[in-house]
Amino acid sequence: MTIGFELTPEQRDLQALAVKFAREEMEPRAAECDRKGLFPEDIYRKAWELGLMNLNVPTEYGGSGLPLLDQCLITEALAHACGGMTTSILANCLALQPINLGGTPAQKERFLRPFCAQYHLASFALTEPSGGSDAGALRTRAVREGDTYILDGEKCFITNAPHASLFTVFATVDPQRKHEGITAFVVPRDSPGLTTGRDEDKMGQRASSTSTVRFEGVRVPVENRLGAEGEGFRLAMKTLDSTRTPIGSLAVGIAQAALDHAVRYAQQRTSFGKPIAEHQAIAMKLANMAQGISAARLLTWHSAWLVDQGDRATLESSMAKCFSSDMAMTVCDEAIQIFGGYGYMRDFPVEKLLRDAKLCQIYEGANEIQRLVIARELLKRYA
Amino acid sequence: MHLIVGVKHVPDADTRLRVDPSGTTYDPDGVKFTINNTYDEATLEESLRLKDGNPGTTVHVVSVGPPRAEEGLRAALAMGADEATLVEVGTGTELDPLLTARLLAAVIRGIPHDLVLVGRQAADDEAGQVGSALGHYLGLPSAGYVTGLEVDPASKRLHIKRYVEGGEETLGMEFPAVLSILKGANDPRTPTLPNILKARRKPLRKVPVGDLLPALETWPGGAKPTSRVTAFQLPPPRAGAKILEYTSPEEAAGKLLAALREEAKVL
Repeated sequence: MTIGFELTPEQRDLQALAVKFAREEMEPRAAECDRKGLFPEDIYRKAWELGLMNLNVPTEYGGSGLPLLDQCLITEALAHACGGMTTSILANCLALQPINLGGTPAQKERFLRPFCAQYHLASFALTEPSGGSDAGALRTRAVREGDTYILDGEKCFITNAPHASLFTVFATVDPQRKHEGITAFVVPRDSPGLTTGRDEDKMGQRASSTSTVRFEGVRVPVENRLGAEGEGFRLAMKTLDSTRTPIGSLAVGIAQAALDHAVRYAQQRTSFGKPIAEHQAIAMKLANMAQGISAARLLTWHSAWLVDQGDRATLESSMAKCFSSDMAMTVCDEAIQIFGGYGYMRDFPVEKLLRDAKLCQIYEGANEIQRLVIARELLKRYA
Repeated sequence: MHLIVGVKHVPDADTRLRVDPSGTTYDPDGVKFTINNTYDEATLEESLRLKDGNPGTTVHVVSVGPPRAEEGLRAALAMGADEATLVEVGTGTELDPLLTARLLAAVIRGIPHDLVLVGRQAADDEAGQVGSALGHYLGLPSAGYVTGLEVDPASKRLHIKRYVEGGEETLGMEFPAVLSILKGANDPRTPTLPNILKARRKPLRKVPVGDLLPALETWPGGAKPTSRVTAFQLPPPRAGAKILEYTSPEEAAGKLLAALREEAKVL
């Protein structure tokens, strides 16, 4: 099969829709939401109305049913305007993916269709206060009692949790069994005993909302269990395998915004009688930034393409996520440097980009874990 | 009810135009095109509202233009039109507003139509002639500067609001008819993602201009343009800004007020 980099007319249309939405709806509000930590639910509602949410849910259940590459194009375009808002818009894809991958047709019908028919937010609840990267050691308990499970425990750093109407929750039926005890459940928000904590005061991505979720004797019917007992860990990993790549795209979008700001500023700001873009020190920076962005974008495209071909893309999605987010930090850092003192001021847009980019190195599998995964996959090939 | 909407693929308002070497038009090279000229978008929105409010109504978009105009029609399909026809012209084909109207009329005659709606004028050449000429060539009544309309499909009657200098006129008409829609009549919808995907699967027919021209030979005006652009110029570059020197904010404000009053005469 030949390698092609040209987008289809359809993909260009989807990209144009996302660019328009980002420019007209998200960008004008990004600075204010960042400054005040606002959760612009009207924007998220509009995103849903246009079909920019639930991108990975099959159309028969009311989602957009897009290939991962198309999802990545949209993600990058949205993130160019605001990384935080993009995280909140994407959170449904992450939260619903375990249902897509592990739900029975009846469960999909029951959970996905009504969820997608209206504006709703969902949260993916895996991480716990005692450890994020060591997901196998999670402590939230699920104890079976007849036809229900009783959930007890606490999750933290859960995106959109204060506003979510549905949670996909990972809990263990037997802590002794480690990974083999982890089981996935769909838990509606109105379940008695489920409470969310205060909205976290984050460094960046402040237009997104993050909180803890507590489960105190929450009764979940057996019909809400995804897959069998003990299949939860694999389901979580499979989910993250397919949602990791868009995080790379999110980072690329933030980095591209930083480069765009930096180039425009460097062409306009003069020192020593010429635009600073013509000074080699600055020109080299711009060149390096552009290279990093292009390389990262191609990694995300390649990884998404593999997933769309039905291939396992653990290595490539880890590379796309890890490389893109590290690259975004470097690019945003350089953008601030090019802006000089102005870049350090909140009146200018670039310092926000750095704060937003930072999260991409941490969430959906910290970059240290990504490197472990990459190394493990790499070593397998030499075994 | 069958609605026909005429659209034109025009340069995006943000694009920077250059005069082409012939000196009679702009150079399309590197220009971003769109149907997002306010008049056509408003017209399409008006027709889609009629479709939403009257079940069974179809919207068929037509355009005369080069192959790239297909993208404009796809955008109209993504907004919600049902099908599209492109009268495809080569880059060398000379058109004027009246020949465009004759080509549109020739193609519209072959499509069921109760109402034909066009934007009041195209956002590029702003000729504003196609609407009334189309009424003439189709032998239908027409109205321009339309800002709102209500349709009663049962009695085949229209109630039209028209902009007139300093006020508004309400007009009763029978259809079929041709209407030119003024911009600002409504807020055009953004295509949703599912509709964008659907748009690629909706029928889009291409009619080579050569298939229509022979029949136009016998029409008044014939198969050739009857007017020709002889020169095309960009506006002269604006004179440089005047910088006021000052030592205090009060002095700056005083000098600025004086300049606005006495030199610019805007106050």
